[in-house]
Amino acid sequence: MAGKSSAELSSLERQNTALMAVFERAGFDHIAPDIIQPADIFLERSGEDIRARTFVFTDPSGAEMCLRPDLTVPACRYHLSHAENPAAERRYCYLGPAFRFPDELLSPQEFTQAGLEWFGAPEPIAAEARVLKLAISALEAAGLSRYRVSFGDLGLFSALLGDTEMPERWRQRLRHHFWRPHAFRELLDSFCAGRGAKRTSVSPIVDRAAAGDALAVVEAEIEARKLPLVGGRDLPEIAARLANKAADRQETPLERAKADTLNAYLAIAGEASAIDAQFAVIAGGSRFKGARDDYAKRLFEMEELGLNPRRFHFAAGFGRELEYYTGFTFQIEADTPHGPVAVAGGGRYDNLLSDMGSPMRVPAVGCAIHTDRLKAVLA
Amino acid sequence: MSVITLAIPSKGRLMEASAGLLEKAGFTIDRLGADRGYRGVLRGLEGVEIAFLPASEIAQNLRDGKVDLGVTGQDLLSEKIAPDDKAVQLLVRLGFGPADVVVAVPECWLDVATMADLDEIAGSFYERHGRRLRVATKYHNLTRRFFAGKGVTGYRIVESLGATEGAPAAGIAEIIVDITTTGSTLAANALKILDDGVILKSCAVLAGRSGKVMDRRAVRLIEVLSAFT
Repeated sequence: MAGKSSAELSSLERQNTALMAVFERAGFDHIAPDIIQPADIFLERSGEDIRARTFVFTDPSGAEMCLRPDLTVPACRYHLSHAENPAAERRYCYLGPAFRFPDELLSPQEFTQAGLEWFGAPEPIAAEARVLKLAISALEAAGLSRYRVSFGDLGLFSALLGDTEMPERWRQRLRHHFWRPHAFRELLDSFCAGRGAKRTSVSPIVDRAAAGDALAVVEAEIEARKLPLVGGRDLPEIAARLANKAADRQETPLERAKADTLNAYLAIAGEASAIDAQFAVIAGGSRFKGARDDYAKRLFEMEELGLNPRRFHFAAGFGRELEYYTGFTFQIEADTPHGPVAVAGGGRYDNLLSDMGSPMRVPAVGCAIHTDRLKAVLA
Repeated sequence: MSVITLAIPSKGRLMEASAGLLEKAGFTIDRLGADRGYRGVLRGLEGVEIAFLPASEIAQNLRDGKVDLGVTGQDLLSEKIAPDDKAVQLLVRLGFGPADVVVAVPECWLDVATMADLDEIAGSFYERHGRRLRVATKYHNLTRRFFAGKGVTGYRIVESLGATEGAPAAGIAEIIVDITTTGSTLAANALKILDDGVILKSCAVLAGRSGKVMDRRAVRLIEVLSAFT
């Protein structure tokens, strides 16, 4: 449409003022992070895939910059450059444009995001419930009355994985693949199959590493073939991974029942307040029990804030596409005659600030509202 | 009657092979103007103009509608034209100029054989060295598509327009995506192709704009060239 008319603009602005008033009244400091960001932070964090969605360009000095694809990372950068102690509690809210290449859903390439980020909240579970409450209150203040709330909890999955007996390096690989359900299932199957791992061109040297000292094998091979050391990885690093591959061969395969338990957990979905009955049949240990308690506490906090979790939907696999989240995640969809439309989402992302250079871990929870979509739904 | 334009690489092996193939099929190219002119006509098929263009620009010219047909490398075509872009079609694989676009890693990475290995070390490399693995290539789109298809995300692309195989030794990148015919340049630079690292088995192709492939001259060219390859 090549822009908004004055009537469209003022109606969007009225709506967004109503959203922001809710955040500001709750004590969130209204900041304006930079629109143009160094591309590096986004690329280092999310890898090359982000280029498929983000406007990246080169400034005259040759540095790669981008138009921010969302406001969470810019708000984190703001925080790290302003806060003396990154782990001290801070509450921010923001309203401003974000930019993405239009995807197959034909989302606009520039849109206005309203959101909040809460760093270092002293009571993490209460803060999660509060962020959900604020997102809902803001949407209602803008006039949304028919919507559905879904959430997930990556903490439950991590806990269950922690309780499942297997080598830690297998857990790491499963966590790494959590975001890709198909690869996850294949990897889990390969752990159950044990020695059935496919032979590859490095299998012969894995055989030798299995029979002796991996570092000695690596050193001898490099020496014998006069291989130059390029590519930035040192010999101990290469040897350690060969040793892991060798160890995988000798590892007792994962019991099928345990893999089934993980898959059964990931298939859980239903009404949020009744879901514990489904958790109860999952054969987890003490960590899983702890995460269930946290889940119950979160529901309690939601009720304390006047929310009704009987109306909310829980899905264990929810949030599997959103790589930054580490715990509670949620999405709010508006009910429209054409079906549900996602208008807001959020959750916990405890690793992002340390990935961005914070010297200490900073617990973080936030949410963002897609204001143009909301406007379209309410029109 | 309007003419249609066939783009042919302006120099090198691809140019010679293209001209050779057209001749074998009974056509000759007359260059217009000065001896080294960049336009010509095709004798033997009326209404076909020839445009001599750098091989690397032919795909873009097809996309922009500046030429109707073109002979170029499949690697260059796939790099420029997204798989879901229906504007340009691959019409005939001509067979000459065979080469593979591959993912290659240092030979000293004795623990790495597959893209799955690469995905695994991408994570530990980031943790250990505080930066992403870097892939030197001129094939940004092919690389991104192939890596995404294999579920590998934790890497960065470093632009490399020439001597890509030297990037790991120069410390500019750890991995390369490049074209290779015999693999000897890779071996000379102590690089190895991953077991499942062949992105594309490329050769010279005839491609055309979708709106023009039903043109009778295009149909005739496709027919004749298919018979000779």
